[in-house]
Amino acid sequence: MPPREGTYGLLAEFDNPSDLVRATKQARQDGWRRMECYTPYPVEEAAEALNFHRNKVPLITLVGGLMGLAAMFLLETWISVLAYPLNIAGRPTYSWPAFIVPAYEWTILWAGLSACFGMLALNGLPALYHPLFNAPNFRDGATTDKFFLCLEALDPKFDLIEARKYLESFQPASVVEVQY
Amino acid sequence: MAHESHTRTLPADLSAPVFVDGWKTRALMVGAVFSIVAVILALLGQAQDQLGWDHFLRAWVLGLVLTFGWSVGGLALLMVQYCSGGKWGLLLRRPLEAMTRSLPVVFVYWVVAAIFRGRLFLWAQYTNVSDTAAALKAGAITEIQQHCLDFKRPMLNSETFILVSLLCFAIWGFYTWRLNTLGVKRDADTPANTPYWIKKFENISGPGIVIYSLTMTAAVIYWVMSMDPTWYSSVYGLLFLVGQGYSVLALSIIVAISLSKAEPFKTILRQTEQHDMGKFTFAFVMLNIYLAFGQFLIIWSGNLPEEIPWYLDRIRGHWGVIITLDFIFHWLIPFTLLLSRDIKRNKKRLTRVCQWMVFAKAFDLFWLIEPNFKDAARNLHFSWGILEYAAVPVAMASFWVAFFCTRLQTRPLVQTNDPHLAEILEPEHAEA
Repeated sequence: MPPREGTYGLLAEFDNPSDLVRATKQARQDGWRRMECYTPYPVEEAAEALNFHRNKVPLITLVGGLMGLAAMFLLETWISVLAYPLNIAGRPTYSWPAFIVPAYEWTILWAGLSACFGMLALNGLPALYHPLFNAPNFRDGATTDKFFLCLEALDPKFDLIEARKYLESFQPASVVEVQY
Repeated sequence: MAHESHTRTLPADLSAPVFVDGWKTRALMVGAVFSIVAVILALLGQAQDQLGWDHFLRAWVLGLVLTFGWSVGGLALLMVQYCSGGKWGLLLRRPLEAMTRSLPVVFVYWVVAAIFRGRLFLWAQYTNVSDTAAALKAGAITEIQQHCLDFKRPMLNSETFILVSLLCFAIWGFYTWRLNTLGVKRDADTPANTPYWIKKFENISGPGIVIYSLTMTAAVIYWVMSMDPTWYSSVYGLLFLVGQGYSVLALSIIVAISLSKAEPFKTILRQTEQHDMGKFTFAFVMLNIYLAFGQFLIIWSGNLPEEIPWYLDRIRGHWGVIITLDFIFHWLIPFTLLLSRDIKRNKKRLTRVCQWMVFAKAFDLFWLIEPNFKDAARNLHFSWGILEYAAVPVAMASFWVAFFCTRLQTRPLVQTNDPHLAEILEPEHAEA
């Protein structure tokens, strides 16, 4: 694939989450679809305003957790019943109460790891490059105290001049053109 | 600030909505109906196996422990939120205060149990060495029971039982009075003094939480654990403490969400705090099974003759069905449902889960209480009497709820002299 060139999108910077959410809601209502919000902390309403769809992280977590549970429980059963059957205080070799704690720990471990890596994978991370980091105000503000709305050039409604005018109507702190 | 355009305002009238009156009437009606059912069942049970009134009293203890968990557990949660802070605390403060002020009902329930203690507790029935020896000869108690009754008599006797319980009620009453009167004073004060009040409540509540854990451990040991004089568990108090958190949070969420159909809770109950309370409840569901299973695992591993019979009484003779259901009702169902973010954020569904949790708590108490008695240990069987466990606690809880409603109506539902109030009125996405 040849390297992409041209405009990635237009980035509007807001000073507070309320203005960002208001702008995003309006843009969504006006038919914009290829857009994204960037905030220093999770802003639920921004996700709602984007009509953020459900993702598969909960499912991945559940499957991971159940796999961990099954793996450890079966491992313990195999060890105690088949591989090294020992007489411990006259109990049956299949003494399930004793298996619960490690099986539970593995459920949590696998669920946690699945959630973490599943989330990263679904986000397309690790990514070596993202065009937004070309914008200096994004580099400085996105993880501290600024709230961004990016209208992407892939949106069929996107026109460099019209889109800039449109974003400026929300009175953001700035509107920056982002190059690939 | 730019947020101001979104900020909501608190309604002028902060008193409890009119429909609380309706709740009260409904609770009284349910209480009356179930009281009649309970008496009929007791008479039927009496005719069947002479145990009708015994079952009535055992179920009475269930109702006592359940409502005790709401009043005194409410006191504990109130103190915890004064120490921890947080917007959920401001939201629940007045409902929790109303729960603590329902303590007189619990006291009345306890008085009844104390009067009839002879039918509930072996130690109240056999009060000296010759009594236990005669009972052993007659086959009424086992040798182990005789030994334990004699050995534990300095602790398990009527005088200590009454004295300790009264002392506990006095202490809970003192904290209830202190926190409630100061709560009103705080609202009458100027906002400039708020830091003073925050510190003041912290200073009262911090030691209060410690004293609560000690007194409530003593109370459940006397009221529930001593029904079986042979057995003890050092995690018992903690198990009930977590159980109180479990049921009191469930009840608080039900109350908060039901109140949010009208002002002022309509304005102040945001989805964020509802979600937080759901997560908090989830933590208690987890901790509850952790302790309950921990206790079982340790006793199962030790397999000692002085400990394991308590579990055998509750597993053998079809009780295994009840403990399995208890595990499903009490942990699996709330756990799997509260995992879901959508359920925690949905008012109707979260209410349903919490109602289920209140039922599950009562079901758990049934499993704890009934097998203490000779006729039921390792022998789960149907009798009219056993249905008392459905009738008596419902009636008792209903009367408690009716009284709680009257307490709820005596005060504005929102504490205004609190910095969290401004935050709770902000739009949800403003918080970091």
